[in-house]
Amino acid sequence: MRLTRRRFLKLTGVGAVAAALPLDVVPVLAQSGPVRLGILAARAGVLAPVGESGLRGVQFATDRINAAGGILGRRLELIVEEESSPKDTVERFRKLALSDKVDAVSGAISTGVGLALGPAAEEMKTIWLAWDATTQKGVEESMPKPKYSFRSTDNECEAVMASILTARHWKGKFKTVAGINPDYSYGRDNWAAFLAIMKKYGIEAQVVSELWPKLGATDFTSHVATLIQAKPDLIFSCFWAGDTPIFMKQAHAAGLTKSTKVVLTTGGGVHESLKKDFTPEGAILGYNCFYFENPKASALAKEFTRWHAEKFKEWPNYESDHGYFTVVAFKAAIERAAKAAGGKWPTQDAIIQALEGVEAESLSGPRRYREDHIMEAAFFQGVTTHRNRHDFVTIDPVESMSTKQIQKPSGVGLYDWINGWKV
Amino acid sequence: MIVRALGLIAGAALVLLPLAGVPYTTTLLLPAFGYAVALLGLNLLFGSTGLLSFGHALFIALGGYTAAALTGRFGVRSLELVLLAAALVAALVAVPIGLLCVRYVKIYFGMLTLAFGMLFYSFLYKFYALTGGDEGMRVLRPMLLGRPLEHLDTVAYLTGPFYYYALGVLVVAALVMRRLVGSPFGLSLRSIRENAAKAESLGIGVRRCRLAAFVVAAVFGAIGGVLLVVPTGLADPLLAYWTHSGNLVFMLLLGGFDHFLGPVLGALVFILLQDSVMSLTSYWRFVFGAILAVIVIFFPRGLMGLLDARRAAAS
Repeated sequence: MRLTRRRFLKLTGVGAVAAALPLDVVPVLAQSGPVRLGILAARAGVLAPVGESGLRGVQFATDRINAAGGILGRRLELIVEEESSPKDTVERFRKLALSDKVDAVSGAISTGVGLALGPAAEEMKTIWLAWDATTQKGVEESMPKPKYSFRSTDNECEAVMASILTARHWKGKFKTVAGINPDYSYGRDNWAAFLAIMKKYGIEAQVVSELWPKLGATDFTSHVATLIQAKPDLIFSCFWAGDTPIFMKQAHAAGLTKSTKVVLTTGGGVHESLKKDFTPEGAILGYNCFYFENPKASALAKEFTRWHAEKFKEWPNYESDHGYFTVVAFKAAIERAAKAAGGKWPTQDAIIQALEGVEAESLSGPRRYREDHIMEAAFFQGVTTHRNRHDFVTIDPVESMSTKQIQKPSGVGLYDWINGWKV
Repeated sequence: MIVRALGLIAGAALVLLPLAGVPYTTTLLLPAFGYAVALLGLNLLFGSTGLLSFGHALFIALGGYTAAALTGRFGVRSLELVLLAAALVAALVAVPIGLLCVRYVKIYFGMLTLAFGMLFYSFLYKFYALTGGDEGMRVLRPMLLGRPLEHLDTVAYLTGPFYYYALGVLVVAALVMRRLVGSPFGLSLRSIRENAAKAESLGIGVRRCRLAAFVVAAVFGAIGGVLLVVPTGLADPLLAYWTHSGNLVFMLLLGGFDHFLGPVLGALVFILLQDSVMSLTSYWRFVFGAILAVIVIFFPRGLMGLLDARRAAAS
């Protein structure tokens, strides 16, 4: 086809109009029409399953809210964008804020993205309810007193709980430890917290190996060989992605799990892949804030687990709970603020104020935002067992700890807080 | 003729855009300006010299981290100083890397640049104390021409003064590059691309010219990198990752590497396309892969090749 000048101008003209139109010419329906919630969910790479899980929790919450009449009569509408690199995600955040004119944004898992989004949310004056991505650096340095950012539980909660359980179950039963953790802030923060807590409990275990494979690594042959050489009594790992079952499989094949104690702080995130064939009984396994077979689960949690299993043929994990909570907390805050304003639709400032300290029923039980914008939740961990109806390990008994116990309080450094424990 | 007229219209549209009251579209173009500067440099290497770098993101990251270090750690908030420092750092880094890389051509040059890019990525990722590891380093809002502009909120800052500043840097970069491409040095590069042995027999220092092109490309890359990280507020290791280098090559092919303004068009279209396709489907990478395949197979001269049919007929 020959592209004549006239035809080209026509095409580019139409293209330019079409490209310009949908971007910013969105009517502002401040207090009518649907409530717009922007979502940032990872859709590709190692974070994709976690992003999908968070999105499922958000969808479940949204469907329930809309079925019950929405938020003060307004439907809740989701606008989903992808979380990817910090640069691209900040641009998506900007799109949600400036072009889609959302009332708030929920999402983000990666710590790097979280550190970029925190300041971006403040600058764009847009409420951001994070699913995860809360590092010490984020809390202490980048955003000491945020107004618009509401962050998740601290990265180290899982390590803190697993370390307490390690001390409780195995104090005096191991002399050497090895750490194999993903090579990024989450891995490093968790390992450092574990070592600090061991020291606090008076466990003078010698560190015989510290390994830092890349996040999402798919081969651990050399790491397993190093661990066999190092002969640790206990292996500590905060793997949470597809690397967890691969490492366990290779460690099991090399006979490493037979006599060595294993602590997997976050492996519950990929619990279905931890098959009985290669995951031993008697290991400490953490599920973050949601355990799908919690015997004390609420009716809501049971309904969600059933819905999830039927719809996706999988048992749900914790990220759904983070996602779910951000939505119901947002709704609860709007209702709380509206009540204070005599039933009128609240201002953004009033919603922010109402989010501080707001409590809402989540999948894992009641959860809340602290006044310093950090989530509070219950965490679930336990000792692995093969006695269940699945082909993968579960935990029994299920131990639960509140973030009141395993998360540093507002305004205190993590290690100062740990050092101040009375054990 | 058409290209010139369209160029003028597009230029006027870019100047007037911030006044149109479409803040998101305006902020969206900021990364396009950054990429366009970097691509002008990359095209000197590829389009003019015939060397395809798969590690050019290294210099974008270098610019980004220089901006982060200066604004965040050393309190240097003047963007002019940051740009100058980024250019210097890039040149300093590019000389030794270039000395090694320009000894090779074609795929060997590509692989070597890829290796250096990934080496730098690993450095950024592993040296936590220095670079912040995966979390990267914050980039604080810089002053423009000595003016702190603190009374402006971020959107106003980005869609107003910073927009024009970045556009200005792009225009200056394009003018400098135009001068370079048209100079005897530019002609030498093209002769090297066409036939290095012949060029050498004419007395052109082939390696020296290739090295000079590499260093200039690096400087443009770092300047683009600075423009890129200011709107994000963070320099992170993914800036240096090989997929980012791949995106640069994609933009270059999209715009057309044998036209001077091809890289600028490539950057603009890539950003606008990514924005709309990303919102439509989570499989946008697949769509982009298909587009790349179509371009390489059917439109090897990119969008500029389509626009500039006259030149196509002449060539």
